[in-house]
Amino acid sequence: MTSRRDFLKVTGAAGAGLVLGLHLEARPRSGETTKTAFHPNAFLTIRPDGTAQITVPKTEMGQGVRTALPLAVAEELDLDWSKVEVVTGQPGPEFKSMQTGGSTSVSTTWTPLRKAGAAAREMLKAAAAARWKVGTAQCRTERGFVLGPDGQKLGYGDLAGAAAKLPVPKDAPLKKAADYRLVGKRTPRFDGPAIVTGKAIFGLDVRRPGQRFAAVLRCAVIGGQPKAWDDAKAKAVRGVKAVVKVPTGLAVIADSTWAAFKGRDALAATTTWEEGAARDFSSSALAAKMKAALTGPADDARREGDPAKVLAAAAKVLEAEYSFPYQAHATVEPMNATTALSEGAAEMWMGSQSPNRAQERAAATLGLKPEQLKVNVALIGGGFGRRLGTDFSTEAAQVAKAAGGGPIQVVWDREDDLRHDLHHPATLHRLRAGIDGAGALAAWTHRIAGPAVLRSWTGGQKAPSQATTETNGAYDIPYAIPAVAVDFAEVEAPTPLGWWRGIQIVPNVFARECFLDEVAHALGKDPLRFRLDLLGNRGIVKFGRDKADIRRLKKVLEVAAAKAGWGRKLPAGRGLGLACHAYDGRTYAAEVAEVSVVKGRLKVHKVTCAVDCGLVVNPSGLESQVEGGIAFGLSALFSQITWEKGRTVQTGYHDFPVLRLADMPVVETHVIPSAEAPSGMGEPPVPVAIPAVLNAVFAATGKRIRKVPIEDGLI
Amino acid sequence: MPATQLTVNGRARTVDADTDTPLLWVLRDNLGLTGTKFGCGQGVCGACTVHLDGQAVKSCQTSLKEAAGRSVVTVEGLSKDRSHPVQKAWIAEDVAQCGYCQPGMIMTAAALLKRKAHPTDHDIDEAFADHICRCGTYPRIRKAVKRAAGGVQ
Repeated sequence: MTSRRDFLKVTGAAGAGLVLGLHLEARPRSGETTKTAFHPNAFLTIRPDGTAQITVPKTEMGQGVRTALPLAVAEELDLDWSKVEVVTGQPGPEFKSMQTGGSTSVSTTWTPLRKAGAAAREMLKAAAAARWKVGTAQCRTERGFVLGPDGQKLGYGDLAGAAAKLPVPKDAPLKKAADYRLVGKRTPRFDGPAIVTGKAIFGLDVRRPGQRFAAVLRCAVIGGQPKAWDDAKAKAVRGVKAVVKVPTGLAVIADSTWAAFKGRDALAATTTWEEGAARDFSSSALAAKMKAALTGPADDARREGDPAKVLAAAAKVLEAEYSFPYQAHATVEPMNATTALSEGAAEMWMGSQSPNRAQERAAATLGLKPEQLKVNVALIGGGFGRRLGTDFSTEAAQVAKAAGGGPIQVVWDREDDLRHDLHHPATLHRLRAGIDGAGALAAWTHRIAGPAVLRSWTGGQKAPSQATTETNGAYDIPYAIPAVAVDFAEVEAPTPLGWWRGIQIVPNVFARECFLDEVAHALGKDPLRFRLDLLGNRGIVKFGRDKADIRRLKKVLEVAAAKAGWGRKLPAGRGLGLACHAYDGRTYAAEVAEVSVVKGRLKVHKVTCAVDCGLVVNPSGLESQVEGGIAFGLSALFSQITWEKGRTVQTGYHDFPVLRLADMPVVETHVIPSAEAPSGMGEPPVPVAIPAVLNAVFAATGKRIRKVPIEDGLI
Repeated sequence: MPATQLTVNGRARTVDADTDTPLLWVLRDNLGLTGTKFGCGQGVCGACTVHLDGQAVKSCQTSLKEAAGRSVVTVEGLSKDRSHPVQKAWIAEDVAQCGYCQPGMIMTAAALLKRKAHPTDHDIDEAFADHICRCGTYPRIRKAVKRAAGGVQ
């Protein structure tokens, strides 16, 4: 285990109050190198007026980091929450890894942020003690004040200057959970007031003096390039200033977004394309390749026992194929970024989940060093993994460079956003279950065929962890089965890929939990009882790079089932289904869906979710993530991206449907009280939603859905 | 090109833009009112919803010509001090996640409550049928509308 090398230091002058820089090197997860591990950093400023500013080293995208992370600091420091201001850090030497993804923001910063708060609290107490000539241990803190033994009281603002001159304590004591005043209480989103008044600034809301707007005409076919064009008609559009060639297509620069769009459309009418190598790519061709890959070579992610032998000797073998389509992120705020160039320097504004990568790549595009490019991280109008990509920010730098200046805001429209997404790829799954003579599940195999997402992150290289990453959610099947084989057969596709909320765990847990339901029914067993029996009386179980506490998984399953009234009589056409998963072995989630199918129309009435994510920092934020995660999962039941002639068939929300309010089920969230360190909640509710619903459809109708999206007329 | 006159958030404004320009871009690019959001430009996500003479409309599907001489209210003009019942309810229910679609949701909620003081669940379903929240804040939107209607104390 790498030791923590967190350290704190006073970084600000006394006149500014107390400015505490928190430098931390979080312990890398096994399998990660120190290069890829998180290096968050945070600043804490206590100003002479008593207000506190907390700089958050992560990107806010609705998951609540601008609330949850400051709460950790404010709790230890006993800040008055109403006097806390929150700012987002900027990538650079002080914030070396702002990367925000994998549901890791709270888990990787929770301890260091509390330590920073505790250190500042002790420094303020020491400053007060010195002034009152009493012992530090005789002082305590309360909502922004230090209180002395004889009724003395001084605000943090009055003490900040003196505290800044004191040494930073190395191991300031952390509060006991029982003493928490803010953590564990419902705290509304910090940005709520700005959002409801329209004052919150997202990337697309950035307005700089003299700003122009650009739309890029891109080839609909992946990787295609313009062959010939005539920019006269585009330039004739009122407000259009220039048309420039950029690596992704042709950028139309104008004095308004609308003029840029109009100019782009005028240009499109005159443009012919070199469609390139991907022009023949189609979903049907890919499906055939995936089908073939079900029986070809593959990379093992987990192999225990001898599944082939057990299957050959089994009394009964069940087999099924499951498929999951390409999906889009479909964030409501389309991709955009704004760039301003000056002599030997540049500044950008963007909503990015990878601010450091975005900075490095845009700077390289502009011929600058990263430190010469200032990156301002705006609020994100939906991330879901899409904005871990740097395609849109690098393109914005390319446009500004080609146009020779700026500020220029590159705006993608809905069709750009859907077609040129970094999509989540399709997968085809073949599962086999071997039942022995005693009726027990003795062998389990799960072959997954599809394009590899991880290559999008490794510059196209095949990483050693490819098989586990692509089979995440499948290789770590938590049930006690004597023989298990899970492998990944990569199928090449020319489509740019990226991380999507819940990553590959979504399709993999869908296939796993639905097929397990099939096995339960085939054996005439109750799906809940069957799972609990298979989980057994085990403790911590290791699966490759991850491990999971089976007791915690059983607990969420039992609680979700009990709260949902598992086993109760339901009217005809109504059913309950369940699914569970230990997400990366860190967050445990089980969901029970109650559905009905009337005249072939599926209605999800209610989803009851039980989660164990360790200690809960903000219950309101947690419930938001459960509600939103379920909405995201349910949405995927009805949406897909398909490819024909190298381009997506879908072009907008009209043919890539997103769940709407009327179809949102009632969501009931039950949290398992825990003193364990907080894990993460952004993704874990997503993967279990799909199998819970489809298992409920089976319970309601007897029809087993093995293909997402659900096709019309299938149920 | 003659300038177009309209009232935005109670203030008379003159805009020099092509009259086929969607009101959305007039608000965002000409008038600097970025609270009204661009989501799809196709009238199906609701992020750009504003009030035109008191009715909720999709500003991406409303031309400057249609808005000429009329009164537009955006999220910035809903109240001076965040005191509109819908804004208060949105904070009380902690509705927003990323928050991007919320101005449109709030404008639709305000128009709905003006039309129907105590909307049913069905009324709420219908009012938000053209809105998308990819974060999935729907349960809280429903609660917040009811709270703003006085249904939740």
